Amino acid sequence: MLKFIAKRLLTLIPVLWGVVTVTFIVMYVVPGDPVRSIAGERYDEQTIEELRAELGLDKPLAVQYVDYLWKLARLDLGRSFVTRRPVIESIRERFPRTMLLAFSAMLIAVVFGISIGVLASSPRFPWLGNSLMTFSLVGVSIPVFWLGLLLIYLFSIKLSILPPSGYGGGSIQYLIMPAVTLSFASMATVARVTRASFLDTVGEDYVRTARSKGLGDIMIYGKHVLRNALIPVITIVGADFGSYLSGSVLTESIFGWPGLGRLVVQAILKRDFPVIRGAVIFMALLFVIVNLVVDISYGIADPRMRVGGNGE
Amino acid sequence: MLAFQTEPTTLDPAFAVDYSSGLVASLIHSNLVCFDVDGRIRADAAGSWDVLNSGREYVFHLKHGRFSSGSRVKAEDVAFSFERLLSPDVHSPRWWILKDVTGAEDFHSGQKSTVDGIEVIDDSTLSITLERPVAYFLDLIAMPSCGIVSKDAVEKEGSAYGRRPIGSGPWALYSWKEGDLLRLVRNPYYGGYGVAKQSVGGITFRILPESMTRVAEFEVGNLDVLEVPRAELNRWKSSRAKVLSREELRIVYIGLNNRRPPFNDVRVRRALNMAVDVQSIIEHVLFGAAVKADGIVPPGLRDGMQPVDGYRYDPEEARLLLGEAGYEDGFEMEIWQRENPEGGRILESIQGYLARVGVKVRIVTREWGAFKEAVDKGTPDAFYLDWFADYPDAENFLFPLFHSANIGGKGNRAAYRNSVVDSLLDEASMTCNAARRSVLYLEAERIIYDEAPWIFLWFPVKYEVVSKRLEGYRIPLIFNGQRFLDVEIK
Repeated sequence: MLKFIAKRLLTLIPVLWGVVTVTFIVMYVVPGDPVRSIAGERYDEQTIEELRAELGLDKPLAVQYVDYLWKLARLDLGRSFVTRRPVIESIRERFPRTMLLAFSAMLIAVVFGISIGVLASSPRFPWLGNSLMTFSLVGVSIPVFWLGLLLIYLFSIKLSILPPSGYGGGSIQYLIMPAVTLSFASMATVARVTRASFLDTVGEDYVRTARSKGLGDIMIYGKHVLRNALIPVITIVGADFGSYLSGSVLTESIFGWPGLGRLVVQAILKRDFPVIRGAVIFMALLFVIVNLVVDISYGIADPRMRVGGNGE
Repeated sequence: MLAFQTEPTTLDPAFAVDYSSGLVASLIHSNLVCFDVDGRIRADAAGSWDVLNSGREYVFHLKHGRFSSGSRVKAEDVAFSFERLLSPDVHSPRWWILKDVTGAEDFHSGQKSTVDGIEVIDDSTLSITLERPVAYFLDLIAMPSCGIVSKDAVEKEGSAYGRRPIGSGPWALYSWKEGDLLRLVRNPYYGGYGVAKQSVGGITFRILPESMTRVAEFEVGNLDVLEVPRAELNRWKSSRAKVLSREELRIVYIGLNNRRPPFNDVRVRRALNMAVDVQSIIEHVLFGAAVKADGIVPPGLRDGMQPVDGYRYDPEEARLLLGEAGYEDGFEMEIWQRENPEGGRILESIQGYLARVGVKVRIVTREWGAFKEAVDKGTPDAFYLDWFADYPDAENFLFPLFHSANIGGKGNRAAYRNSVVDSLLDEASMTCNAARRSVLYLEAERIIYDEAPWIFLWFPVKYEVVSKRLEGYRIPLIFNGQRFLDVEIK
C-alpha cells in the first residue's frame, strides 16, 4: 500500500509540471494586459513600460517561464500584480474556507444522497421512489445561481432564520445555505447512482444466499448490499470533487464567501498572472490528492481492488 | 455598514487607482485639503494656505494633526508622501498628478535626487512651487493619491503598507479580511476637516460581488447604504424606503476613431450623433437613470456655464449628412466594448438605430486590459467607454479627453485634434480667475461638441437607498467627498 501511495505521489511531479506549463502558455495566448488593468484610466506609455519592467513582463517569454519554474521549485509563488501581496498568503487564508465549504457540501451530498437513493429503491413504496427521483432530476438540472438566490429569498428575507451572505468566521449558520447550494447537483447525482446500484446489487446471487442463510433485512441491506452498492458512489463523489471546486466559484460569489473560487475569478478578470497560476497549481494538487484518496478508499469498500494482494 | 462590488486592491495612496481602493484610502489618509459632499475644497490637514506669485506658489500651514499611531503629522511627512508619489523607484501610475510641481519631471526620470518645488520650511509649514500656475492645483492634491502617509509606517511596512496603512484621516483600518470585509474604526487623533458624530464608532465594508446578494443584505437590515441596481429602480422608488439620487460626474460615450475614414469627416460624426435616439435608450434600457449628454461637462460642474444645444434625434438629417459625405449607402463599422452585460444591451440598441441610416455595426467584446490596449493604440473604429471625474472641475473632462497632448492612454482615446481647442484648454488651465476660466472652457466645449469626436450618450444618475436608522447621509458629488462624518445612527 505504501509503495502504491509513493508511486502515485511521484506521478504528481509531471502532472503539476504539465499544469504549470499549460497555464503559463494559455495566459499569454489569451488577449489581455495586466499592466493596463493596474494603471487606472489615465496614464502615459512610459508609466506602462515602467510597470511592465517592474513586474518582469518585459522579459522574453522563455526567460519568464524559467524564472517562474525556478521560483516554484523554491516554493515561491510570487506576488500578486494587483495587490502586491504574496500569493501564498492569499491562498493560505482562503483555501481552508473553500475546503470547509467543499467538504460540508460533500458531506451533505453523501449523507442525503445515499439516504434518498436507498429510500427510493425500496420496493415497498414505489410512489416514494418515483417522487424522490423526480426531486433528484430537478436537483441535477437546477442552476446553482437560481437556487442560491431562492434560498436567500426564502430563509433570509421571508423567514429571517439565516444570514443572507458572508463568512461569519465559519460559523454554522453562515455555512448552511452555501453548502446546500453547492451540494445540490451532486446530492441528486449520488441519489440516482445509489438507487441504480442498489437495485442492481439486490438482484445478485450472494444476496439470495444471504437471505437463504436466514439473515434479516437490516443485515442484508446494511452490510452486504449497501457496501457493494457504494463502489460506484465513491467513484462519483471522487470525480465530482472537481465540480465542488469549480462550483464554489459561483456559490462563493452569490453568498459573498471569501474563498479560493472568488480569488481566481477576480484574478482572471484582472489578468493577475501570479495569482491565477498559484491557485490553479494548488487546485490541481488538491484534485490529484483527492483522486488518490478515492483510489485508496475503493480498497476499503471492496477487498477485490486492494493493491498488492496478500494481506496488504 | 456598506458594501463594495469589488474589493480594494490596496490602501496605499500611491497605488489606489480604482473606486473602492481610492475611497477607503481617502477615509484613512487625510490630504492637505479635501472635498466636502458638494465637491468644495475644504481645509484638511492644512489649516490654511497662501497662494503667492500669481498662482505659482502655495504655502500650507499644517494643523497639529496626528496619525492614527499617535505621532504628529509634520511637513516632512507631506513632502515624503509627495516625493514618494513622484519617485522613479515607486512606479506610481498616478505620478502625473504632481507633474507641474517644479522639478517633478526631472525627479521622476531620475535626473535629480530631490524635487526642487517641494520645500519643508518647518514642522508645520510646507511650500510647493509650480512650473506654471495650475488653477485646479488644490483639486489635484485632494485626490486619494495625494493622501499623507506616515513616513515611519511606510519605512517599516515596505510593500505591505497597502494592507497596513497608517494615515491621519477620520478613520483607521482595524481589520481587513480579504474577500470578506474591511473594518474601519474612528481615528481618535483625527484633527482634519469636520468632526465625526459620536454615534458612529466605525464603518464596515462588506465585499459582495453579486448585486442581488447586496439587495438581500440590505433588506434584512445588514447594510445601511445600497446602490440600487437599475433593474430594481422602479421597485425601490415605489417603496417607502429613503431613496437618494445624484447625477454622477461621469460621461458615457462612444469614441470614434478620428484618425481614420469615414470618422475623420465631421459630417459623418454629426450624422452618427443624430442617428441615435439617446433619450429613448435612457428611458427603456437604463430605466431613466441618466441624463442625456448635451455637452461634455456634467451638469453638477456647470455652475456659471451655459448648457450646450444638444444633437436632436433626426435620422432623416443624418442620412442626408451621410449622403453629403459620400456615404449614401452607409458603411460598416466595429464598436468595441469591455466585457459587460449592460454595455451589450446598450450597444445592441445603438446598433439598431445605426442600421436605420445604413450603418452596419459589429460589436466586439474584449477583456478590460486587452480592450484598453487596442483602444490606446487606435485599433478599433469606435469604442464604448465612460469617464469618471478624478476631481470636480471642468478641466478634468475637457483636458485629458480632448487635448491633443493626451492622445492615447492619457485619455484622448478618440484621437481628437484641434489646435484652437488645445490653446483654449492650455490658457484655461493657467487662468486663476474663475469666471474667465468658465468662459474659456465653455468655448472649448462648444467647439468640441460641434465637431462630435464621439457619439455623446449620457451622464448616469446614481440611486442609493439608505436604512431607516441612518441619518445625515448624502451621495457625494465626487466619490471621496463623503467621509461619513455627518452621518448618524439612530
